[in-house]
Amino acid sequence: MTKILHIARREFVATVMTRGFMIGLLLMPVLLALGFAVGPKLMAQQTKPVHGTVAVVDPTGEVTARLREAMAPDAVARRRAAAVDANLPTALRDVGMAGATTAQVRERTAAEAPRLELIDLSDVATARAWLLDRSVSDQRLAVIAVKPNAVRGNAGYGSYDLYLAPRVDPRLEGGVYDDMREALVAARSAAVGLARERVDAVMTVARPQATTVTSAGDHQADSQFAQALPFIFIMLMFFGVMVGGQGLMTSTIEEKSSRVVEVLLSAVSPFELMAGKLLGQLAVSAVTLALYVGVGLVVLSSLAMIGLVQPMMVVYLVIFFVVTYATLGALMAAIGAAVNEMREAQSLMTPITLMIVLPAMFATPILRNPSSTFATVISFVPPMNAFAMLIRITSSAPPPAWQIWLTVVVSVGAALAALWFAAKVFKVGLLMFGKPPNLTTLIKWARMA
Amino acid sequence: MEPALRLSSVTKTFGTMRAVERLDLEVPRGALYGVIGPNGAGKTTTIRIVMSILFPDSGSVSVLGHPSALAAKDRIGYLPEERGLYRKMRVGDFLTYMARLKGVPDNQSRAFIVQAFERLDLHEVADKRCEELSKGMQQKVQFIATTVHRPDLLILDEPFSGLDPVSTRMLRDLILEEHRRGATILFSTHVMMHAEQLCDRVVMIHKGRKVLDEAVAAIRHQYDPRSLEFEPLDPKADLSGLTDLPGVERIESVDRVTRVTLTAECAPGEAIARITAALPTARIEVARLRLDDVFVQLVSADAGGDASELRAGLSSPEVAEVR
Repeated sequence: MTKILHIARREFVATVMTRGFMIGLLLMPVLLALGFAVGPKLMAQQTKPVHGTVAVVDPTGEVTARLREAMAPDAVARRRAAAVDANLPTALRDVGMAGATTAQVRERTAAEAPRLELIDLSDVATARAWLLDRSVSDQRLAVIAVKPNAVRGNAGYGSYDLYLAPRVDPRLEGGVYDDMREALVAARSAAVGLARERVDAVMTVARPQATTVTSAGDHQADSQFAQALPFIFIMLMFFGVMVGGQGLMTSTIEEKSSRVVEVLLSAVSPFELMAGKLLGQLAVSAVTLALYVGVGLVVLSSLAMIGLVQPMMVVYLVIFFVVTYATLGALMAAIGAAVNEMREAQSLMTPITLMIVLPAMFATPILRNPSSTFATVISFVPPMNAFAMLIRITSSAPPPAWQIWLTVVVSVGAALAALWFAAKVFKVGLLMFGKPPNLTTLIKWARMA
Repeated sequence: MEPALRLSSVTKTFGTMRAVERLDLEVPRGALYGVIGPNGAGKTTTIRIVMSILFPDSGSVSVLGHPSALAAKDRIGYLPEERGLYRKMRVGDFLTYMARLKGVPDNQSRAFIVQAFERLDLHEVADKRCEELSKGMQQKVQFIATTVHRPDLLILDEPFSGLDPVSTRMLRDLILEEHRRGATILFSTHVMMHAEQLCDRVVMIHKGRKVLDEAVAAIRHQYDPRSLEFEPLDPKADLSGLTDLPGVERIESVDRVTRVTLTAECAPGEAIARITAALPTARIEVARLRLDDVFVQLVSADAGGDASELRAGLSSPEVAEVR
């Protein structure tokens, strides 16, 4: 056992102390941090507001003045800020969201509000001719032709037609709609004798903050994050398994190709060597996983959303990660021992990559109905079962405990079988050089050893 | 006393190829034993079986009194033919790691490594990465790794392979030093000269089978060539008259040297006196026994093999030795 620990320690140190690993490990949190730190600054860089002249043909005579008010940059900014407030999730309203606070969003939208000059023209034909006249230096952007029944429509309201000059800023159309909507609602309200503020009050329905009720107490629910949780968990497991498995395969190939392996085999048995390497890379993966999970929990805690992650979910993540790593890591170590160089490993890796990718493809159907026969069956088919079960555990309808523990038992069985197979291949493959083996050869080696 | 190593009727096949066939071998404690044979004879397979890296299909192995080397790994030093180092690892860390795997506490291994660096002229390499060392230095580091735990049994597979003359000499001295310390040494080579210079006893293997297992002194006696190597003062001199001298059986030219084969009853000293009296002589000496001659003789007689082919696989050391 001491020798296994010595091998594990070397494997861990040799992997963790490399520049590549450090960069890889820190890359994700650094990218996130950069997103939070630099993102707002990049996003705060104001895009140039739309600038130019818009003509309006208003047969009702009741829209133009209101449209001019609605087009004022202050009014546009006010409306946009209100929309931001109404759409952001409560928990994120006053903390960094995509790197920008609500105040920053308000400031930015004000600065980006279109600067439009409005002129009044008598009819559509004149307005179209005005739009086509390129001889003048002003920036002629569009013609708004208000329908005669846009304000007073007993049999239903009309709207407006919009004529655009070629190659105008694509934001103009949306901006004009927003302004016209504001102007028309105001004009129509006045026409029926309603105060605009009253109409707004009638139309406003505040979005509620849902509360999840549990025996341990209530906590705020965030359905959007809850939906993302299963994907986050399987991504974490995927990363954990791949970081360790890939490292295991690479280091085994390196030991074999540098011919240091036979020197090692003079001191330890092939099984001790494999066990030590598995343990060492497990520690590497565990560090990676702990870092990501830790950062994730801190972020959730700061957003007051920690209640979404049950402690048992993390326990199950750890259990399923260990057994899946043991299964796939052992197989990847065997592949590393069987081939002579990294290139040869690709074909043998295909089935393993498939086993890892398939559960991600199954995630959506499983989440749609976590208790379906499909989801239940997949939960017991190794090595996908761990991923499938993790999706179900973190879904809105977690499976019964007996199913979870049955999956654990099946996974442990699969891990033992994989370790048995891998140990056999490892023993034979380490000293085999020459033609790269295929799957049939590996099975032959396992039977031979 | 239990021998250091005993193989009893060991057989190993790979598919249809029989790599080792019914091999018996006994290496007494403290011996310096050579396993010789051409490339592909089964030497490496035999050594891997001894090391329990491979397992025999039949037969039994006893290493330092244990039925498998696995139980005695910490008392065995093994230098494989295909030997490498962790390229990115620092030399000191590599040696400490190997010592740990051999069960040597860090304080002991540290002292040994420092001494070994001093002795082998490896100054300031401890902090260098293995890939930064020259091949000769790497060989030295590998030998330190092999002996860091002061093994009772040292197994060296083609230790001189790929070495230049200086490194060959250095390694030979190290092997002899280990032997003086009391270690039993078994090494394989396809260069017979190395076995002649180092071994007490040799075992010859051909196509997986043992063809000879004898003390070098006994081989010298048994396979005494009973011939002289002769070089006349005048290269154009007529040598045909020498065959009429008493005690001379035949004369042949081999590699620009005239070899005079003597009859069984003729004493070499008398023959030398007669030849030098008969013909002005530049050089004459008793021919030295060469193990490759013995090997070729044995194998050719055994299987009617092609002697020149066997000789090509045996007697050409990769580098000439500086003495």
